Order: sequence, then structure tokens, then C-alpha cells
Amino acid sequence: MKRWLGVALGIVTSIGGFLEIGSIATAAQGGAEYRYQLAWAIVLGTICIALLIEMSGRFAVASKHTIADAMRERFGIHFFMVPLVLVFFISVLVLAAEIGGVAVAVELVTGIHYPVWALPVALLAWGLLWYGTFSIIENAISLLGLITIAFVVAAVHLGPDWHALAVGLAPTLPAKQPAHYWFIAVSILGASISPYLFYFYSSGAIEEKWDETYFGPNRVIAAIGMGFGGFLSVAVLVVAALVYAPRGMKVEEYKQLPLLLSSPWGRVGFLLFAGSLFITCIGATAEIALALAYKIAQGFGWNWGEDLEPSADARFSVTYTIILLASTLLVVVGVDPLKLTNLSMALTAASLPVAILPFLVLMNDRRYLGDHTNGWLGNLAILVISVLAGIVAIVSIPLEIIGGS
Amino acid sequence: MQVLLIRDVLDNQLIDATGQNAGKVDGIVLELRAGEPPRVRFVEVGPVTLARRLNRRFGDWFARLDARLGSGRGASVRIPISRITLDEPSLRIDLVAASTPIMALEKWLRRTIVSRIPWS
Repeated sequence: MKRWLGVALGIVTSIGGFLEIGSIATAAQGGAEYRYQLAWAIVLGTICIALLIEMSGRFAVASKHTIADAMRERFGIHFFMVPLVLVFFISVLVLAAEIGGVAVAVELVTGIHYPVWALPVALLAWGLLWYGTFSIIENAISLLGLITIAFVVAAVHLGPDWHALAVGLAPTLPAKQPAHYWFIAVSILGASISPYLFYFYSSGAIEEKWDETYFGPNRVIAAIGMGFGGFLSVAVLVVAALVYAPRGMKVEEYKQLPLLLSSPWGRVGFLLFAGSLFITCIGATAEIALALAYKIAQGFGWNWGEDLEPSADARFSVTYTIILLASTLLVVVGVDPLKLTNLSMALTAASLPVAILPFLVLMNDRRYLGDHTNGWLGNLAILVISVLAGIVAIVSIPLEIIGGS
Repeated sequence: MQVLLIRDVLDNQLIDATGQNAGKVDGIVLELRAGEPPRVRFVEVGPVTLARRLNRRFGDWFARLDARLGSGRGASVRIPISRITLDEPSLRIDLVAASTPIMALEKWLRRTIVSRIPWS
């Protein structure tokens, strides 16, 4: 019974944990400029992250190791440092984008400019981590995150062109601005396939002491949770296609984002958008700060655990405190949250081969997984998606910067 | 049972006698003996060894910096191989990490930062 309650919570967690500033902003931009044509990128990203999440849970259950632990053991310190440093710097940018997202949500309601809110927001996230437990963060924020179902209601309410949406599920070449199209496509992939998520998930599985009976529930959580998260992202894209595209608008400023829900529902929609942005971004802030601290603590063999008192794992707790502070500084000095989001999502996509390929090697190691190693289809899917996303991102980021200036 | 030093010992997790995480095996020390085969003597735990593995000059610089922080610093902790047992998925050591410099940073942070934050 307790296990299936865990499954329900896990699914809710995935839903709450999926949508955040990255997926909201990139889906909104995609919908505004290319209507339904980029729906395939969300679907592809969702399949990829669902596979990766299932793998990281299976890895933790079968090997009793977290991924960071095993990477250090299996590849040694030299190779451990490469993905660590890369994922670390990109995640600090993503974290700053999330803190910016929460700060923007507060600005929307109070009218006071977002950099002022960066420190209070970081303090709130830090307080959750310092004084809270894993289940409080996971469950409370995720349950509140269900507010994002508002995007689905809005999408249906506005009456999408179902045929065009179905066509968008298959990749097609754009009629205009191909470089920009691919930039948005990889940004959507980067927003969906967040490497921090599988560090977070495998640490959670160890922290909650999952045993062999969790192989099945893990599969269900990954498929339904991530699937529903992707569904929410598609809803954002659909709403954007119906709200911005007819007006000929592009999403170039974060202040344009609330229109997603204020267009159908006025003031109430505006507040629903601010609430959605606040909750999903504060959740992502806590998760990313924790994920990075997990990775460092596990890589160096320290005590770690969100459920331990900070005095029992001082290095771990001080690490997430420093990470939060560093990211907050970027928002305090007024770096634009939307630009930061676009850049950090595209960089995430560019880093995918380095972040994911060592993980795939681990997933095929019988010493860790016994009979639970990956099948060829899972290997091939992840390999192709991550390498292609990486290449397209590396090509399209400079083109976007040149084109945008 | 055959134990491969690089695969099964180096970079693996150490757990101390109280069940606490006691770092990773950052280095392995062999003793070379005239006319006899080398013998595994210690494992090393500590950032100095780790830094030297990444880059020797960086490691030497780090060791000098670390040495300024107090007596006994500037070198990694050595644990005799005889005190280590295999305890999947980790290695167990029969000493208490808190009584060694392995936990120096942990204890320093606990004392100077964590204990000063209210309700911690």
C-alpha cells in the first residue's frame, strides 16, 4: 500500500517537476512563432527524459548506487570531473533562470522589479532545503504544482486545430528562419531532458531506500509522470499558438508570458499564470540546488541526505547554500530571466552527449545492474537523441547569436 | 576472491565503523621492496591526493596551501590496507572517521557555519 502511495506521489512529483521556466518559455516561443509545428520536439524530449528517469531509478534499485557515486567509481576522478564541471556550470545558469522565474512571478503580482526579489526567493528555497525534508519538498511543491493543469484547460477552452496539432507531432522543416527554428527545437529538448533530473531522481530513490519491489513502480512513475509533464508542455505550446500567433507576436520579453492565461481568463488567468510560474520555478530551484549538491557530495564520498539534519552533513548543506547564492547573484545584477532561460536550455542540449553518454555506459554494466541492464532499443534511442540534440545545439547557438544581434 | 585495485578499490566509497561516509579512496600506496614483489600498504583519503592525480603541479600547490591551515595538514590521511574489508557496494574501514582529519572540513563547517544558523 505504502509503495503504491509512493507511486502516486512520484507521478505527481514528476508532473510538478517537469514544467518550469525552461519548458514554459521554450514551448511558448515555439507556439508563438511556429504554431503547432514544434510539438514533435516536446514529444521527443519527453520520451527521452522518461527513458532516462526509468533508467536512473532502475540503476539505483539494482545497484544501490546513485549515478554520481558510480560515475566516480567506474570512470575514476579524471573522467568524473569533466561531466561534473560541465553540468555544474550549465546547471548554475539553469538555476539562475528558475530563481529569475520565481522573482518574475512575484514582480507580476507586486509590480516591483524582479532583481529585488532574487534574494528573498533564494532564502525561501534555502529555507525549504535547510529546514525541510525530502518528502516535504517533493510532495508539497508537487501537489501545488497541479495548478499548471490550468494550461490544459486553457488549451481546450481556446479550441485548437487538432489536425494541425497532429501534423506537428512529426518533425517537419520550417517555411521560415530555419536556424531559429532549430534553435527553439533544441531549447525545447534541453528544457525537457534536464541532466539534473536524473541525478535528483536516483538520489531520491536511494534516500527513500527503494528495494527490488520498486522496479515496476519506477517504470510507472517514469512513463506516466514524465508523459503527463510533456502533455502539460504541449498544452503551453497550443495555448501560445492560439494566443500569440494570431496577433503576430513573438515571445521576446518575460512580461509577455502571462498573456498565455490572461488572454482567455483576464485577471484570474493572470494570477493563475503567476501562481504556476512561482510554484513550478521554486520547485525546480530546490531540485536543481539539491541535485548539484548530491552530485558533488556523492562524487567526493561525503555524508549527504536531504533528510539528515544540516549538522550531520555540513559539507553537503553548505554546498547547496553556496550554489544557491552563486545563482542568485546573476539575477540580482539584473540578467534578463528569459534570455538566461533560452541560453541555458540551448547549452543544456549542447552538453547532452557529455552528460548522458557515460550514464549509458553505466546502464550497460552488469557489475552494477546484473540482469537489469538496458535493452538495445533504449540504448539506441538515447544515443541518437542526445548526440543529435548536441550537434544541432552546437551549430544553432552561434547562428542564433549572430542572427539575433 | 580476486580484487582489482583500480576497479574495486580506487575511487570506491569508504564507510567507517559507525556507518558514516568516510570519503572515497583517492589513492593507493604500494611499498617497493628489494628482491620482493611490491606490497599494498595504504589507501589515501583526502583532497591533496585527489588534486595530485588531476595535475601534479596543481596538487603540490594545493598541498602547500592546505599545509598553512594547521599542523598535520597538507597531506592525505593514510589508512592501512589491513583495516579495510569489502562490504558491497562499499569498502568498510574499522576506525571512526570523525577522529581522523578525513572529517576536518565537515567538523569545521559544522562549528563555524551550521551551528550559528538558528534552529539548525
